Amino acid sequence: MASSTTTAGAHAAAAHKETSPAKLILNWLVLCGLTGATFGVSQIHMPVNYHLAAAICIACVKVTLVVLIFMHLWHGEGINRIVFLTSFLFLLLLMFFVMADVGTRFTLSNSRIPPMPVVDQKMMPTGMPPGMSSVPQGHSDGPGPSSGEAGKQ
Amino acid sequence: MTAEGWLEPPPLPHHYETIENHQAALRFGMWLFLGTEVLLFAGIFVGYFVFRTYFPESFEQAGRHLSLFLGTLNTFLLLTSSLTVALAHHNAEHGKNRNAFWLLMASVAMGAGFLCIKAIEYTEKFHEGALPGKFFSFSEITAPGGPVFYVVYFFSTGLHALHVIVGMSLLTWVATRCWRKEFSPTYYAPVENAGLYWHLVDLVWIFLYPLLYLV
Repeated sequence: MASSTTTAGAHAAAAHKETSPAKLILNWLVLCGLTGATFGVSQIHMPVNYHLAAAICIACVKVTLVVLIFMHLWHGEGINRIVFLTSFLFLLLLMFFVMADVGTRFTLSNSRIPPMPVVDQKMMPTGMPPGMSSVPQGHSDGPGPSSGEAGKQ
Repeated sequence: MTAEGWLEPPPLPHHYETIENHQAALRFGMWLFLGTEVLLFAGIFVGYFVFRTYFPESFEQAGRHLSLFLGTLNTFLLLTSSLTVALAHHNAEHGKNRNAFWLLMASVAMGAGFLCIKAIEYTEKFHEGALPGKFFSFSEITAPGGPVFYVVYFFSTGLHALHVIVGMSLLTWVATRCWRKEFSPTYYAPVENAGLYWHLVDLVWIFLYPLLYLV
């Protein structure tokens, strides 16, 4: 049994296509070149959205090279390609629907929302014990004096 | 030890017909896991694009304050470590365990270099007060959304650095097995799978580098 499996394995290994070290090194050189290209493109003066598009395109080319050559999907089993492409497709779906939502949002009101009414201190109900003010002090400009201090004024 | 100079492969689990069958299953399992990793990072990338849409000026300002030199150096380090891992896989597949060992150790060293550079960058950010959320006190970013950029920056690069640490541990583990000459043309799946994980770490950085440092 052991010898038959070893023979079958050796046979399969012999039939298995592999990437030569020269190809791996060439791929690395191309990847370094593309990194330089990403850097170069980022230094060109153009609108920021073009920069974003160029950076993503070059990154996609680099990822394809890494996946096909370093990760052996070029010669690998088809099922592994399906797994990786599916996960990438799900990433794109998530990205597309979220960005479609964020990109098409609009202001819900068709007029300016009126500012919050300013509460007049004189209109406050009298007889409240210190620190029991019904309107929080300093609400509009962040953490302000504590309600205890406000009650003393 | 066989005549060729490597250890006998571990016994084949009874539910596999051949060793190649077993290796293909191990590879398939690893790819499924990598699929889940892609989805983990997908959430972070979507977060990046959403917040970038809300706060474009602060993302541009903050991006200019990251060290382009260190980011580019880290990119080259990771690309080169991916090459050495791919070469280690090739050597392990041909039973050249000692070559594979040294190539894997070179990859681990480059991973450590990457983390050191990242630590330098983080230290600089801590001194500047370029920090996430309520810890933000960096006066040079005036547009709204600076603290949000650093949430995205620290979370994405932090999770990536965690993956680098896990990847280095896996590579060290398979390197010690290479030193013991465990791999041969019929059994090299651990080197291949640890390598696949390392390449994924590289893939994530290929996207993070331009999005954070260049755009």
